[in-house]
Amino acid sequence: MRTIFILTTIIFAWLIGCKKPYSPSVISSNRSMLVVEGNLNAGADSTTLRLTRTFKLDDTARLIAENNAQLTIEGRDNSVRSLSGSGNGYYTSSNLNLIIGKEYRLRIITSGGNEYLSDYVKARITPDIDSVGWDRDITGAHVYVNTGDPSGNTVYYRWNYDETWEIRSYYYSRFVYENGGVRPRLLPAEDVSVCWKNDQSRQIILANSKSLTQDIIYKKPIVTIPSGSEKFQVRYSILLRQYSLDKNAYDFFEIMKKNTEEIGSIFSPQPSEIRGNIHNVNDLSEAVIGYVTVSEEKQKRVFITRPTQWDFSLSCTSIDVPKMADSINYYFGGYQYVPYDEGPTVYLGTEPYCADCTIRGGVTTKPSFW
Amino acid sequence: MMRSVRLLLLLILFFTSYSVRAQEPASIKINGEFNNVSATEFFKGLEVLIPSYKFYYDASKLDSFTVKLSITNLSLTEVLEAAFKGTDIQFAVDTLSKNIFITQKVKIYTELPDNFFNEKKKLNVNNNLPDSLLDYEEGYNEKTKVAPGRLIEIGRKTNQTRNNVIITGYVRNVRTGEPLTNVSVFTDSLHSTITDIYGHYSLMVTSGNHTLSVSTIGMKDIRLQLAVYSEGKLDIDMNEEIRVLKEVLVSNRKSYNIRNVQMGVERLSIEKIKSVPTVFGESDVLRVVTSLPGVKTVGEASTGFNVRGGSADQNLILFNEATIYNPSHFFGLFSAFNPEVVEGIELYKSSIPANYGGRLSSVLDIKTREGNKKNITGSAGIGLVTSRVHLEGPLIKNKTSFIMGARTTYANWLLNLLPQEYKNSTASFQDIDFSVSHKIDSSNDLYLNGYFSNDKFSLGSDTTYGYSNRNANIKWKHNFSSKFRGVFIAGYDQYQYNVSSNKNEVNAFKLGFDVKQSTFKSDFTYFLNTKHSLDFGLSSVYYKLHPGYFEPYDSNSAIQRDEVNAEQALESGLYLAHHYSPNNKLSVSSGIRYSIFNFLGPQEVSIYTPGSPVTESNRTGTIAYGKGKFINTYKGPEIRLSLRYILTPTLSVKAAYNSLRQYIHLLSNTAIIAPTDIWKLSDPNIRPQKGEQVSLGFYKNFKSNTIETSVELYYKKIKDYLDYKPGGTLFLNHNIETDVINTKGKGYGVEVLLKKPGGKLNGWISYTYSRILLNAYDSTQGVSINNGKYYPANYDKPHDVTLAGNFRVNHRFSVSLNFNYSTGRPITLPIARFYYAGSERVLYSDRNQYRIPDYFRTDFSMNIDGNHKVHQKTHNSWTIGIYNVLGRQNPYSVYFVSEDGKINGYKLSIFGSAIPFVNFNIRF
Repeated sequence: MRTIFILTTIIFAWLIGCKKPYSPSVISSNRSMLVVEGNLNAGADSTTLRLTRTFKLDDTARLIAENNAQLTIEGRDNSVRSLSGSGNGYYTSSNLNLIIGKEYRLRIITSGGNEYLSDYVKARITPDIDSVGWDRDITGAHVYVNTGDPSGNTVYYRWNYDETWEIRSYYYSRFVYENGGVRPRLLPAEDVSVCWKNDQSRQIILANSKSLTQDIIYKKPIVTIPSGSEKFQVRYSILLRQYSLDKNAYDFFEIMKKNTEEIGSIFSPQPSEIRGNIHNVNDLSEAVIGYVTVSEEKQKRVFITRPTQWDFSLSCTSIDVPKMADSINYYFGGYQYVPYDEGPTVYLGTEPYCADCTIRGGVTTKPSFW
Repeated sequence: MMRSVRLLLLLILFFTSYSVRAQEPASIKINGEFNNVSATEFFKGLEVLIPSYKFYYDASKLDSFTVKLSITNLSLTEVLEAAFKGTDIQFAVDTLSKNIFITQKVKIYTELPDNFFNEKKKLNVNNNLPDSLLDYEEGYNEKTKVAPGRLIEIGRKTNQTRNNVIITGYVRNVRTGEPLTNVSVFTDSLHSTITDIYGHYSLMVTSGNHTLSVSTIGMKDIRLQLAVYSEGKLDIDMNEEIRVLKEVLVSNRKSYNIRNVQMGVERLSIEKIKSVPTVFGESDVLRVVTSLPGVKTVGEASTGFNVRGGSADQNLILFNEATIYNPSHFFGLFSAFNPEVVEGIELYKSSIPANYGGRLSSVLDIKTREGNKKNITGSAGIGLVTSRVHLEGPLIKNKTSFIMGARTTYANWLLNLLPQEYKNSTASFQDIDFSVSHKIDSSNDLYLNGYFSNDKFSLGSDTTYGYSNRNANIKWKHNFSSKFRGVFIAGYDQYQYNVSSNKNEVNAFKLGFDVKQSTFKSDFTYFLNTKHSLDFGLSSVYYKLHPGYFEPYDSNSAIQRDEVNAEQALESGLYLAHHYSPNNKLSVSSGIRYSIFNFLGPQEVSIYTPGSPVTESNRTGTIAYGKGKFINTYKGPEIRLSLRYILTPTLSVKAAYNSLRQYIHLLSNTAIIAPTDIWKLSDPNIRPQKGEQVSLGFYKNFKSNTIETSVELYYKKIKDYLDYKPGGTLFLNHNIETDVINTKGKGYGVEVLLKKPGGKLNGWISYTYSRILLNAYDSTQGVSINNGKYYPANYDKPHDVTLAGNFRVNHRFSVSLNFNYSTGRPITLPIARFYYAGSERVLYSDRNQYRIPDYFRTDFSMNIDGNHKVHQKTHNSWTIGIYNVLGRQNPYSVYFVSEDGKINGYKLSIFGSAIPFVNFNIRF
């Protein structure tokens, strides 16, 4: 029997379970629905909302911004504040001066003349972030947050973040290929050996403490940096923003998260309807995506220096290119290689990403907080 | 026995030859009461009354004989004369040795005839007299030789002519002593019956001479010549049919599908189940059930099934009368029943007999075999995923037997082949079943059943899931008389589920829930006459349900213990069913079941503003009830009506109407039945589910009943089925009524079946068209699904074609082919994209507005038996096959995920390629 088992195990290696890309015959809805994203900052800082529209599955658009709308924030105390459009769907205010505990709602009048109104939402306190830490295991580094509210009033939390990291080129580049020739780089103005890259959170991060005896969030995973990622090549920084939510807002984000991030495992729940707190004043049946929250925003920035034995590496080769026009054209003309240094008779060339960190998506301007 | 009789006979002959005429033991006077006792019991009773005498008899020749006598002050001879009056039973009393010999037809003389030694010639002359002296055994054999169709006399010869008499008895397998179920026992089309699960039958015939036919698949047909005088017992032993090569196909006379009054009943024997190829070659009881017409599943890795548009919790799954809450192992990949001990299944889709209640859609009755009453036998099997063993045999020969089976898995290697996200998973499961059957006497049987199943797995993480079924029951079957029979069952069923995680020490938790029920049931059957019979009885279920707890894993955990209050309830049912056959064409079965549900304290019940949506904001308070308090009661009648009319001997039409109620609900928000789904009892805020169904069917047999065809149509309505509200929390919800929504449903369909139950080529083809549409209709719910419009349920798959075929190439080799096509199940699909929280995301359509691609699968298997030499210690067999031969990647689920700021659609296939399997079995 043993041989049979070994045999069948081998047979089984290619059989069970598979996940294949699937794009059903185009299902497109002609309705384009309004999408409202953002938090009305109840603290002293600025507020940014974004209005966009849904687009068809087969649409080539990446994003349809809703510009030129009038956004006003109305308090139950009859106060009115407005946000001003800054293009690309963004509407901002440097400080709304909302009062904690008071109720506010958002009114939107689009350029098309449709009028939308949110439910009244109470402005909430957000507790400070206690600490942001990280753990490491074989899969990578896991950045987590610790927070909590001694008064026990917060319970529901949401976070988002911006991350920034420094990258270095493998070879220090002292030359640049330009107009069919090689010239020395103007340093430090044209230095491409050090860059910074940015990204932002792309998932909805939620946690609650309702099943705990205390209002504590302990080691809530925020982001995982996979082993070997360039994010830890030199130094990494994360700016974490924390918001407190009420139960309804939490439910909204949780449904959106479940619908768009967690569907598909064997036990996953079925998608359910997303119900926000914004409605068309004249047509309650019109679906509007989004939930207006009114909370303080608390921030914390931490830096993580490259941990020991973080094996990030670039695979780089160095070639000798004779200082002759046809050789230069042959190797550097197609940007297959770029020059970085020279010898007596040759330029030293390497792959572009090994000498120029902007090729890797970085910017050479050092961030103000770095 | 015979040998000792013969030996004694010789001795007696020797001694008595010296004696003078025997003296009647007239001096002994007997008093006693014998009420329908068997011959054996009668003689044993007499032996007690007159201890010096001993009876010698062959019990098998007296199997149709019973004694009903009241004796006061009679001599032994008078007693025996009275007892055997009108029968061909003879007796002889040897007063010297105090032995009494009971014989049939041939009388034993305890002394030689006068002048035996002197006048031999005279004896020869008298040889043709019935009372001629012959060696007992020789004489009997001679008689049977003279009349090859042995004439069996039933009852007592009397002068009164009685029109209708009832013959009762058991049909057993002569080799193993196991009772045979669903055996046709009949004299003609009007006088026919089938044996029940105990192998017991009651046949009404007219007095007089009859040819009794006994037939079933796999057994040699028996034809018996009966001379029926009055009520009597007749036990029948059947031989297994040994198939020979170049066999002539003998049509079995089973026209049960035509004659049975019930509609929508599917029966499958384990042999048929085993011949259907399944994934990994594990014979799977439930997997085969899902291939029957009218039965659907959400997906192939789910053993939850849907009967005629009912949800998965609307099936009553009984395993030896024990309610099984989770009939599957390993997320539903395997069913939790050991095929080695299962005898067969019955699925009631339409006419649900009145003795069953508590679920809306169907009853799936799974029975294990009774143990071999003669020898210890067993089997062992090794498959790719499980190994199994079973053992059976007598505890007391011919009286008490046991059967037990056990299975375990070594599926961890299999999990490593699962999709990447389930890597590092472990799984184990076991199931054990044990049954003892004991025949107390001819009218009392006792059965003891136990079942245990356990599952434990961790899915790619530090979280451990486990669930377990535990069931035990005791059953007593008593025949009050040949017309009146009762079955009493007391049992305990339990299902529990738990999860624990200890990765994050602050959040380390344990959670779980369980359902426990104690049941008592009594069922009575009373045969009035050929035209009328009655079933009646009552049943009670006491539920104790813990809907959920959540507690810290250990003292380091900051988890606060939370528990939803335990629920208690009593569900009782009282039923009466009347079967009426005014003539041999029409048969009507009408039943009523009155069910009562009491929700019991201790409990805290939330009160909501009447007429407003049941939401947290409309809760006005709670009322606390003390222990044992009746909080509220739901009650109502359920109607079970079915009717059959035979148009021609091979064509019948049937109609049925059923209404049912269900007081326990399964709450689920996943597409399949997941172990995380929780059970909930009806309470003041959650009404019982109600369902009704009308159905009409036509049944036609061809080629001497070897081919059965049927067309069944149905329409059903479901009320107060519970669906979850969008985003509802089901687990650990103290006010679950605020997160569920009452839903009504309507289902209709037509099922066409062509079946060839026996023969070299056997199997079935079915086509089903069916719809099931739901509507969250209640305006007081606050929210509605799809704006209150009807939408298809998850398992609405309109077209379904199934072929299950088996071809016996020869005695040792058979091949099976399965073919399965169905419309893809409904799914909620994305209809638009939008950008939110750093990613592109999708907006979903209304619920279940689209369908996944159609499902299509073909399986193939070969069964190879070892040689069939009788005298070998073990018999072995191999099953080799391929599941999903064409390797079609049937999507189990379709989903869309935002990855790196983009929306990607995926289809997940569970068995996405051809899966070969090997299975090895040993019988001993």
